[in-house]
Amino acid sequence: MKLTIERAALLTALSHVQSVVERRNTIPILSNVQIEANAQGISLTATDLDLAVVERVAAKVAQEGTTTVPAHTFYEIVRKLPEGAEIQCVYPSGEQRLSLSAGRSEFSLACLPKEDFPVMTAGDFSHHFSIPAAELRRLIDKTRFAISTEETRYYLNGIYLHAGESGGIKVLRGVATDGHRLARVEMPLPDGAAGIPGAIVPRKTVTELRKLIDGVDDDVRISLSETRIRFTVGDALLTSKLIDGTFPDYERVIPSGNDKHMEVEGKAFAAAVDRVSTIATEKGRAVKLVLDRDRLVLSAMSPESGSATEEVPVSYSDGPLEIGFNSRYLIDITTQIEGESAHFAMNDAASPTVVRDGNDDSALYVLMPMRV
Amino acid sequence: MTVDQDENGVPHPRETAELLGHEAAEAALLEAWNAGRVPHAWLISGPKGIGKATLAYRFARFVLAQGVGDSGALFGAPDPAGDLAVAPEDPVFRRVASGGHADLLTVERPLDASGRRKSEITVNEVRRLRGFFNLTAAESGHRVAIVDSADELNRNAANALLKILEEPPEKSLILLIAQAPEALLPTIRSRCRRLALRPLPSDLVIALLARHYPELLEAEGTALAQLAAGSPGRALGLAEAGGVAAYQDIVSLLAPLPRLDWGAVHGWADRLARRENDRIYALTLDLLALWLSRLLRSAASGRDGGEAVPGEFGLRGFVADRSGLRRWLDAAEEIAHGAALADALNLDRKQLLLNVVFALGRAAQAMPARAS
Repeated sequence: MKLTIERAALLTALSHVQSVVERRNTIPILSNVQIEANAQGISLTATDLDLAVVERVAAKVAQEGTTTVPAHTFYEIVRKLPEGAEIQCVYPSGEQRLSLSAGRSEFSLACLPKEDFPVMTAGDFSHHFSIPAAELRRLIDKTRFAISTEETRYYLNGIYLHAGESGGIKVLRGVATDGHRLARVEMPLPDGAAGIPGAIVPRKTVTELRKLIDGVDDDVRISLSETRIRFTVGDALLTSKLIDGTFPDYERVIPSGNDKHMEVEGKAFAAAVDRVSTIATEKGRAVKLVLDRDRLVLSAMSPESGSATEEVPVSYSDGPLEIGFNSRYLIDITTQIEGESAHFAMNDAASPTVVRDGNDDSALYVLMPMRV
Repeated sequence: MTVDQDENGVPHPRETAELLGHEAAEAALLEAWNAGRVPHAWLISGPKGIGKATLAYRFARFVLAQGVGDSGALFGAPDPAGDLAVAPEDPVFRRVASGGHADLLTVERPLDASGRRKSEITVNEVRRLRGFFNLTAAESGHRVAIVDSADELNRNAANALLKILEEPPEKSLILLIAQAPEALLPTIRSRCRRLALRPLPSDLVIALLARHYPELLEAEGTALAQLAAGSPGRALGLAEAGGVAAYQDIVSLLAPLPRLDWGAVHGWADRLARRENDRIYALTLDLLALWLSRLLRSAASGRDGGEAVPGEFGLRGFVADRSGLRRWLDAAEEIAHGAALADALNLDRKQLLLNVVFALGRAAQAMPARAS
């Protein structure tokens, strides 16, 4: 392998891929990034065996070839080289070292053979479709807070991506829940996504994907099979394993007959809940909502620290109701509300409440009450 | 304390293609595979160095190599596999050897902060298995875990493993390796198919030694095979560490019991106590115990011959005297106890060796005068 590449381009690509590589690794090959040089440029691949990121960068390749070098060292070297530097990489095939030079600096990096490097990217995908990056960002941002961290219900440790139907319209849905709250975001079903196998995308993959699509305007191409998912974002490719489990029948827990409707200004409500919950103890975190005609009183009590109340103007006319929520969960949900008002549909103090963004039907949240 | 094969330059089982002399065990694995009824968990047991891990890795590679590359045969299913071999050039072999296969997880004793192996497998290591099986496979669809070894699981780790064995995921395979399967939780044993590996005939061990160490003298080869008692890994480990010479030293030193040449004993202990003789010191403790057990066994069986080195059983007639057997067994226990303590407490090496010789001396003292 013999190539010349611009520092800036290499640095951007490396910073994307190297974040996947775990810092502490007992297996040497997993600390490495694979460099594959061909006529079009170079591809950098990094993996933690659960997901792999590949990024293509333009380079002047004089001789093709593939090898692997320690990712963090490589990244640090490139980062410390002066801006605007041209980097030459030479790797005579069969050698143990990659020599890297830029200006007066020269480095020799220990290589491991490409055959030792994990393969996460091969194989076929049964379905392909594209969605705008902004839509994907929205789907992730509005659901990821609800992803469970509980290991016993591992099938909840991700976002469930699947095709569904909402009011007769076919939609692509992302759902996340931890058993106390649930977030469901949908968008019109893109071409090619009909009949996709439901996929639970692991939390770690969601995090890496979110980094990758930050600030991207183009479409993201999604490829799916029974066992893997791939996101193609510009020159980058993220391939991941899926969670091997069955996502629960979440539709069952979304109540449809809640008849007590409350409209409240989202931002003001979130701020009020935040203030009142200062009093709530770490363990309980409970906030009580007392509703009567167009009047909501938030209150929190703690035997150790005292009590707090705040009155919030709401629009409500469905009879008195007392209901408690975990303040953290309530804030998580209300901060997702982008519109003027949040719409709460409640039943009683023991049944799940449905929260919607006033002027946005595509996002829906379900919250279990707490006994207070 | 035992001879660690890794430290002795013998290739790790994950890099070893060949397995000697366990045709019956391989046939059992193959038969289950070809019948399409592979138990999800296997317990491979047998003495140290006999090839348990080598067999486990062979089976793992075989399973992981299935279904890679071939996309549905046109004329029915492919022929059933004839053996477990996967060529060392095969990509699957390479990735398993480097630790870079995304569908294989090995659970071993973890490294501590200073990079040394801990003495047991902790529950955190076993929990990695759960994360591994909770995700789909990245390549062929099968996921394989190897626990090397189950003897080293602490109580919490064993219970965590049991949880996984109780609810095995689909297309998963768990291979447990154990030297002392009877010491495992009965609930673990009962959930695994047992596969006991037997000691190899000495001619196979000798042939293997001759291949790896062509310069080895025939007498040495025979001696190593004797000492290794049918375990090729142990024979290779001893050959690498110079086990025959160390053993000969022990035999010569102790031959004049109960009248020892104390000058020689001190010289021997001084030499072994030096820092640079780490390995040979550990080996010697091991061999001392081996020598005594072989001597006692030879005395008990009353059969002639079978000496690994000349003069090995010189004290046999002496030991066979029933009145003293108890003392000899006490001495054997002291050796074992001392070795275990020395490892845990970092005892003074010379003193420990001298204590062992004293113990042997005491056992010999109690004998009636040696028949001359």
